Amino acid sequence: MNEMTQLNRLRSEVPWPDPTELRAEEQRLLSEIAAFGASSPARPPGRTYRLPDRPVGLRGILRVNLRTSLAIGAMAAAITAIVYFAPSAPDKGSAVQVAPVAMSAVLQRAADTASERDDLAPNPGQFLAYELQVMFPVKLKEDGKEVRYLDRSLFKVWLPVEGSPLDGGVMSSEHLEPKPFPGESLPAEAKRREGGVAAPSKLTGYDIRPDHRRTDYAYLSRLPTDPAGMREHLYRDLARDPLADYTAWGNVGSMITRAYMPAAQRAALFRAAGTIPGVETVNEAEDAAGRRGVAVAMVNKFGGVRHEYIFDPTTYLYLGERVVVVDAATAGAPEGTLLTSTAQLKVEVVDHAPEVRTG
Amino acid sequence: MSETSRTRTGDRDIFPADEAEADDAFLIERSRREPEVFAGVFHRHAPEIKRYVTRRLGADAAEDVVADTFLAAFRGREGYDPSQPSARPWLYGIATNLIRRHKRVEVRQLRVLERTGVDPVTVPFTERSDERLSAGAVRRRLAAALARLPAGHRDVLLLVTWGGLTYVEAAQAMDIPVGTVRSRVNRARSKVREELGGVDPTSVSEETFHE
Repeated sequence: MNEMTQLNRLRSEVPWPDPTELRAEEQRLLSEIAAFGASSPARPPGRTYRLPDRPVGLRGILRVNLRTSLAIGAMAAAITAIVYFAPSAPDKGSAVQVAPVAMSAVLQRAADTASERDDLAPNPGQFLAYELQVMFPVKLKEDGKEVRYLDRSLFKVWLPVEGSPLDGGVMSSEHLEPKPFPGESLPAEAKRREGGVAAPSKLTGYDIRPDHRRTDYAYLSRLPTDPAGMREHLYRDLARDPLADYTAWGNVGSMITRAYMPAAQRAALFRAAGTIPGVETVNEAEDAAGRRGVAVAMVNKFGGVRHEYIFDPTTYLYLGERVVVVDAATAGAPEGTLLTSTAQLKVEVVDHAPEVRTG
Repeated sequence: MSETSRTRTGDRDIFPADEAEADDAFLIERSRREPEVFAGVFHRHAPEIKRYVTRRLGADAAEDVVADTFLAAFRGREGYDPSQPSARPWLYGIATNLIRRHKRVEVRQLRVLERTGVDPVTVPFTERSDERLSAGAVRRRLAAALARLPAGHRDVLLLVTWGGLTYVEAAQAMDIPVGTVRSRVNRARSKVREELGGVDPTSVSEETFHE
């Protein structure tokens, strides 16, 4: 037995971690992907919100049903993007009809609605708090066998009104009751996870976005309020190649993803987004909370998926997000497969993010 | 970028991005457009990297180092060399750089093992500690040797042993010539051998372990 063998034995009792022991690390990576990597082509127009009777003069907690899409959608997609699964019994969403013509009408109405609503008025030093419900497929190994189920989670994210998400951004999550994968039984691990709570923890990572890609409220509220100016912003610094439209669309997404801006900018953004080639509408869609609506969508040819952003069919309020396979070969999952769905439940302005555990 | 890796997608089956099928270069390439795909790189390699870092630094520091490793990898994915189908050397390289920041922790724990025969790194994992005690003398001397190695030599030695990298992979990981890897390993080996000199390795009772 030579010294290399001896050395190989040293600390060999350190076990291979199982996935549950890597959750903290995974969570941090997914937060990073969601926060800064959300350049996925399908970031649709964000949405208006309706203020319930707002207590006049009450600063602090303004609670509204805002329905912008959140980066958590990307987070869910993060998992599904590699954990592909066969389509459930073809759901309604997979049978969506695409009607390219209607797109601008949806966006137009959304934009018009946006400018009619009251705005949140967050101030530097405060936080915007987002809450969303996400469903996404999870594949894991149980007793050496691959099993699948649909994970449902609730995420809360607090982001500073001004500055990088890393400057005080906080996130927490909670596993809701999982759903069995259609045609399969619920894995024991899925049940074990139910009710699992990730206490608020600081967003960490690297924020290397150029200054003009900031998405904090303070910055977004200074963007142009006209569609042409906003469109210019979306395409700023982009090479003139076929990817530019995807990237511009992605920029829209990151601006509404865990982000909030005044109505004037929102309206401009919706209109600008509508000028991006490749946008289409989907007549029937459902978000993670089971709310039905219509969607604006862009097909990501590179991923073989269509990202849908769902609006209330009558008010065009933003409801949530879905990712559906449209090209099996590229996406690596059968056409119609629902890869993820998200519902944004609310956003509010708060004075403080929750305390985080330290260390 | 890498057409070669892209063509692999053409004949993929139902679950192509399934971790076994697409190579890392493909996943990383794809993650430039679809960042979420990068999670696949994590699922594929995080367990191995975590175990490696844990062996070097213990569970507490390992969590941070592993998280930072994948964050840095994600941020640096543009720089990934698409001609390298496996991301292991790259990830080990990033992890190694981050481990360096905890050098004092690593050495301190090795010294504790050297002095007391109790390994702070493995205590949380060792329920049947009695099985391990028989090799105490060897372990203490190995710890002594590792603690005394220059950091760069320790890195290389552990990459090729605990990390299971080839010399070429270790060279990629450390961004140094293969010849340097070879000479560092050789020197490190002889130091370890010297340190073990006083112990007859064959007298060590066979432990039950599974590598």
